Amino acid sequence: MSSLLHTFTTEIRRGTLTLAVLSQLKTPQYGYSLAQRLEAAGITIEQSTLYPLLRRLEKQDLVTSNWDTSESRPRKYYVISEYGNEIYTQLKKEWDTLTLELDALLKGDEGIELD
Amino acid sequence: MRVLNLIEVYIYEVTRRLPEKTRKDIALELKSTIEDMLPDNYSEEDIKHVLAKLGSPEKLASSYKDKPNYLIGPQIYDTYMSTMKLVIPWAIGITLLVHFIDSIFVFNSDEALLPAITTFLITTISNIISVVLQVLFWITLSFIIVERTGGLKVKIMPEWTPEDLNHVRIIPKEKDIPFTEILLSLIGTAFLAVVYFNADRLAGIYQTTENGKLTFIMPIFNQETLLAFWPIIIALLIIQIAFIIYKWKLRKWTIPLAIVNLIVTVISTITVIVMAKTPNLLNVEIFSYFADVLNMSTLKITVLSNKIIMISIIILVITNIFDIYNSFRKAKI
Repeated sequence: MSSLLHTFTTEIRRGTLTLAVLSQLKTPQYGYSLAQRLEAAGITIEQSTLYPLLRRLEKQDLVTSNWDTSESRPRKYYVISEYGNEIYTQLKKEWDTLTLELDALLKGDEGIELD
Repeated sequence: MRVLNLIEVYIYEVTRRLPEKTRKDIALELKSTIEDMLPDNYSEEDIKHVLAKLGSPEKLASSYKDKPNYLIGPQIYDTYMSTMKLVIPWAIGITLLVHFIDSIFVFNSDEALLPAITTFLITTISNIISVVLQVLFWITLSFIIVERTGGLKVKIMPEWTPEDLNHVRIIPKEKDIPFTEILLSLIGTAFLAVVYFNADRLAGIYQTTENGKLTFIMPIFNQETLLAFWPIIIALLIIQIAFIIYKWKLRKWTIPLAIVNLIVTVISTITVIVMAKTPNLLNVEIFSYFADVLNMSTLKITVLSNKIIMISIIILVITNIFDIYNSFRKAKI
């Protein structure tokens, strides 16, 4: 991929990251498991992006965290809060509207090309 | 290095760059993540592979930080720039003024003027440089602090509206009289005035002595003759300054301005020619001085000096004709 195309793609992905992460935190996840779920859906995210993002979301009261020390390996679990869920629902609506608008634009462009 | 230590060292490298509050938490989370990423029976190679994936500890640590990656951010950058542009000219101007006034009071009229002026220029310029550096530093530092502590919520400049366009005057570049030109004419006029009335101490023959100091041998002009003209000179000065102010008000060349320029230039040129023709303009002593230095007869020197004066007048007239022509050309644009 050319480096210019790469910067644009990264920009789009960066914008949708919060939405993607929040969507997976209905059930408690720890950093690594979250990264794996996103990978399964095709979203590769670096540790250096994911963990600071989770901490920021916690600071913004969108998720809550707690340490699970019951197993041999202590893990920090994140789960979406009530406030986070409100925001998430609204954000999801915004996303749906956005994709509709964008689709219309892009389809319209294709229509002109076909002529 | 023992296999387990590699992980510990990495975590240490990352967390030591982080604030103490979050250090333990991040360290623990990082450790469990690394262990999650490793296969069941991991080797040193596996560890190195995982750590390489995580990246440099410095980069990882900085991604945890909330602090912005810049000193002065985009929001307040414009304010920063306009503050600079506002303050620095004033700082320079005030320094200049203070130095100028100070040197007038301190000036000992016994010493030669030229070395005194040289010293004045040198000290003033070095002081201006240090003042500008100080201003740069303190303004930049304050803005960095503002950025770090959350940014300015107050607007320094009022918001632009289309009404502001009414204040803009579009002047084609050629026709425009830039402010620097006005300033230079003013300074030039003031300089000439100072030199004229102090010509007996300034405009003369200089020689460097053995210890490198510049000494004034003798003045070129006969100061009495120069001073005899003083009413005309003062009148000319006033006309010049008035003309410069008129230019400043107009900001651009117009036909009336060009006509005034013509009149002023003609008057001053005629004055110069009249002065050049007066007998006793030059200091009598310079003829014998040059005759000595150049090993020629005094008569030859006198003839030579008259020729030089003629040529200078011709050059002056030609230059002025060009100037007048230019001013009309610009006025017609």
